Amino acid sequence: MTKAGDWQSYQRVLLPPVRNLHHLDAYRAQGGYDILRTIFNDWKPEDVTQCVKKSGLRGRGGAGFPTGLKWSFMPPANPAVPRFLCCNADESEPGTFKDRQLMEFNPHLIFEGILIACFAMSMKACYLYVRGEFSSWITLLERELACAYDANLVGTGMLGTNVNMDIILHKGAGAYICGEETSLMESLEGKRAYPRIKPPFPAQQGIWGYPTTINNVETLACVPLILDRGADWFAGVGAQTHPGPILYGISGHVNRPGVYEYPTGMLITDLLEIAGSMRGGKKLKALVPGGASVPVLRADMIEGVTMDVESLRAAGSMMGTAGMLFLDEDTDMVAFLRRVARFYHHESCGQCTPCREGTGWMENLITRIDDGEGNLRDLDLLLDLCDQMEGRTVCALADAAAWPVRNTIKRFRNDFEKRCRPAVWAGVA
Amino acid sequence: MPHVIIDGHIYEFEGKPGLLQFCLDHGIELPHFCYHPSMSVPANCRQCLVDVGAPVRDRASGEIQTHEDGNPVIRYFPKLQTSCSHVIADGQVVHTARTSKKVARAQQDTLEFLLINHPLDCPICDQAGHCPLQIQAYKYGPEGSRFEFQKVHKPKKVKLGPRVVLDAERCINCTRCTRFTDEISKSHQLTIIERSVKNYPITPPGVTFDEPYSMNVIDLCPVGALTSADFRFQARIWELASAPSIAPANAKGSNCYLWTRDNLVLRITPRHNPNVNEYWLPDEDRLVYHRFNANRPLGPQVRGAGGTLCEATWDDAFRAAADVLAKAGERTVFIASAFATVEDNWLLLQLAQSLGAEIAGYIEHIEPGHGDGWLRTDDRTPNSEGCRRLGLMPVDAVVLRARLAAGAIGALYVLEDDPIAAGLCSVEDLGDVPVVLHYYNTTNETLHAAQVVLPAAMVAETIGTFVNEDGHAQRVVPAKAIRDTNRTLMMQMGLSRADRHGTPFDRWHNEAHYVNCKPSWELLPEVARRLGVDLQHGGPRRIMRKISEKLPAFEGATYEVMGLQGVLLPERVAEEAPENA
Ligand SMILES: Cc1cc2nc3c(=O)[nH]c(=O)nc-3n(C[C@H](O)[C@H](O)[C@H](O)COP(=O)(O)O)c2cc1C
Ligand code: SF4
Ligand code: SF4
Ligand code: FES
Repeated sequence: MTKAGDWQSYQRVLLPPVRNLHHLDAYRAQGGYDILRTIFNDWKPEDVTQCVKKSGLRGRGGAGFPTGLKWSFMPPANPAVPRFLCCNADESEPGTFKDRQLMEFNPHLIFEGILIACFAMSMKACYLYVRGEFSSWITLLERELACAYDANLVGTGMLGTNVNMDIILHKGAGAYICGEETSLMESLEGKRAYPRIKPPFPAQQGIWGYPTTINNVETLACVPLILDRGADWFAGVGAQTHPGPILYGISGHVNRPGVYEYPTGMLITDLLEIAGSMRGGKKLKALVPGGASVPVLRADMIEGVTMDVESLRAAGSMMGTAGMLFLDEDTDMVAFLRRVARFYHHESCGQCTPCREGTGWMENLITRIDDGEGNLRDLDLLLDLCDQMEGRTVCALADAAAWPVRNTIKRFRNDFEKRCRPAVWAGVA
Repeated sequence: MPHVIIDGHIYEFEGKPGLLQFCLDHGIELPHFCYHPSMSVPANCRQCLVDVGAPVRDRASGEIQTHEDGNPVIRYFPKLQTSCSHVIADGQVVHTARTSKKVARAQQDTLEFLLINHPLDCPICDQAGHCPLQIQAYKYGPEGSRFEFQKVHKPKKVKLGPRVVLDAERCINCTRCTRFTDEISKSHQLTIIERSVKNYPITPPGVTFDEPYSMNVIDLCPVGALTSADFRFQARIWELASAPSIAPANAKGSNCYLWTRDNLVLRITPRHNPNVNEYWLPDEDRLVYHRFNANRPLGPQVRGAGGTLCEATWDDAFRAAADVLAKAGERTVFIASAFATVEDNWLLLQLAQSLGAEIAGYIEHIEPGHGDGWLRTDDRTPNSEGCRRLGLMPVDAVVLRARLAAGAIGALYVLEDDPIAAGLCSVEDLGDVPVVLHYYNTTNETLHAAQVVLPAAMVAETIGTFVNEDGHAQRVVPAKAIRDTNRTLMMQMGLSRADRHGTPFDRWHNEAHYVNCKPSWELLPEVARRLGVDLQHGGPRRIMRKISEKLPAFEGATYEVMGLQGVLLPERVAEEAPENA
């Protein structure tokens, strides 16, 4: 079992229940930006990275990559070569809505995390790339960032030291693919958001071709907490291999959907209870545990499964963004998959042949099945298309499009077969 | 030396070669679309996938681990790799579709995807017959399609600019065209719009695709999505023959192919030459071909008693020209040509010398501001550097007019140019001075003032050498036949092209497409012979050999050395005068 057992007494830290925390004064009254000052005065950059490494923090953007390790990939600092941090606030995975909660209620935690990360990797600037549709939060971020500049927390000679750092707010134009790290960089550079091939990785050649580290909003928001409370504290929260507080974005047919902050490694069944159980007393049919792209789990597959990388992998799914979508017994899985397929078809950047053509074809086939005109062989063709797309493209969107199709068909094959035209018509003799 | 094993064969390599280019350089075929050697590598078509493995090294010792039989342990990459973006490392093992079912299947799958929304309108597509998509679909693609839906519809017949037409449905989104405008020509006039399967390239709002290099995207496009407004629907590719040549519209001497059908040049495309034009050809060099076909003379003419030009036999015309020269003697002034080959200008020098007459120089055709430091030059002629290396200088118009006015000129002999249109002199300036003219087109304005006019073969019909502004000597071979039976020209034509020109027994054969002209290297000796001067030379190949031996400025420029890629001549000493000029 995980250590998340004592979740009832859990005290929120990412989104603490403090009134007006999004204002600089309220944030500072809580001790905000104190650790930043301490770090600037007393820490060495390597030690900050070391501390983050020790905490066991994994990226919250979907891939779950160890953050400290990612930071250590940066080449040695060279004053002649600019280097950038990039904060990925393009949150657009269906079923994921946690980053915007941080932007709305605790923006200074994000800023502080950004500044500490910049210090750790000797960077002078961070691009904060925010999804364009988040216009009201962009306004809020702009205002609070200005306050931070005015208070000399960011900018030239910040905190009375001779350190200069800038945070540059950048609005996206609203495309899911801009959340992929390399296409985000292309978009930032003013180009069409086509993901780049890797290698070279961002740490070698990122924004404008310079070394870059890119992290999710929530990942960076964890950083001040780690430095403030210590790596051991963080490592002790939640699941051992995937520790820390995390924001669960719960949606679907539950009574109280919303963003919930708890430790990682929570039992899925506990989280369902926290979200007020299924609406109308219905039975659970399926769960998508980490945003639309991760494999769907049948209700009978979630017993004893906890929300961390290992447990979910063992159960046959992934952690993703921890955006949990609960579906009740009345859910039409074909219609569900049709909607998911439509999303990926619409959002494929269209660069790679398998993704560009495959996502559209998949939507065609699922639509046909949903309309009652599908054939049984269409299901096998769909699985074939998954094989033809997975692992053969520049970025992971093609995989993200294929996984739900493969697993929904595999795990709910009956639902699909029932909707297809029979291979042999009964009564035809 | 480091080595790589491809399909079981060992190849040695140096440096850090890209796998796809390495394979292509070693004659290993790998299907691909988006890769182009001189542009960035987006690896987006996913057609060039291969299976790559690397030897496993022992962590501690760094030694390569081996099996019991002594062969190294190979660990394969978990995913297939795009060979275009893969950099070869020592000891790696590569499997192409020939030795890996997985790769063959992946390539087949990609082609299935590429074809589902492709209109498959090969029967009416200009690209059919030399279409990478068509060729690879036959070779590596699936049989039939499992796609049972309405194909995606996109704009067709979009005029991107004056010279390029887009059929977006045929596009396979390889981004070669947009990368060309971003990275090579830097005009940024094309971009991909829309998303997913609706993607296609187009100009940004308010922009016309009119850059001077726009037509290169037609050659780059691996399908028939981008076609030439000019050549569109003119010919099927298998009806055409091509001949390597030199583009004549400027002094860069870009290498090109002239494509002919039924003895008409129908289009011009670039020919790769890393020392001159790489893969590219400006639009102006492509659109000159009309000159080869239209307004060509019917035959030699001599001005008759009534003052009009009358048809004459070649023999009569030569004799008339010789008469003019004989009368004027050393008061004849010769004008060389930067449109003509080195060989022709050389013969002109010989003729002038034998008469003790003078060569005024060649006529310059400079268009200030036209050059761009790349493949277009201010100089609009292909061979002014060749003329200068023969010791010829631009004609001084003021001096020439003064001498004409003073009655110091007995006759003017003009090689392949148009002094009146060029503004060198007017009909009035010429007065009664008889003019012998070698010319290409009936639009030549000097025809009005000429006494004897001799139709000359153009670059598409002759053999000869041009020197570009950088001192690169390059030769041309005939792409189309002239009416005359000329063994030297026919030898250089190549047999296959004679088939395409047809014989009088073919129904589509059109005699009118055979121009009644002769190369100047035949015209000049004929005129000379009638003056009792022997200019026999044994063909342009021998002339060039002689020139390369006699003139240091042409050292080494024999046909054998020039081949199809030309040769860089020694630096020219500015005031060098040829010994026998
Ligand atoms: C198609 C696609 C979309 C993505 N969208 C997002 C996103 O909206 N927000 C995000 O933080 N990461 C997104 N990612 C993950 C990023 O590429 C990257 O892994 C992440 O920002 C790294 O941050 P982390 O290490 O802090 O998790 C996406 C990845 C893919 C393949
Ligand atoms: S996988 Fe899809 S979204 Fe990603 S780069 Fe390729 S086409 Fe674009
Ligand atoms: S138009 Fe041709 S060159 Fe341009 S992207 Fe499409 S297929 Fe490639
Ligand atoms: S050639 Fe297109 S992916 Fe390699």
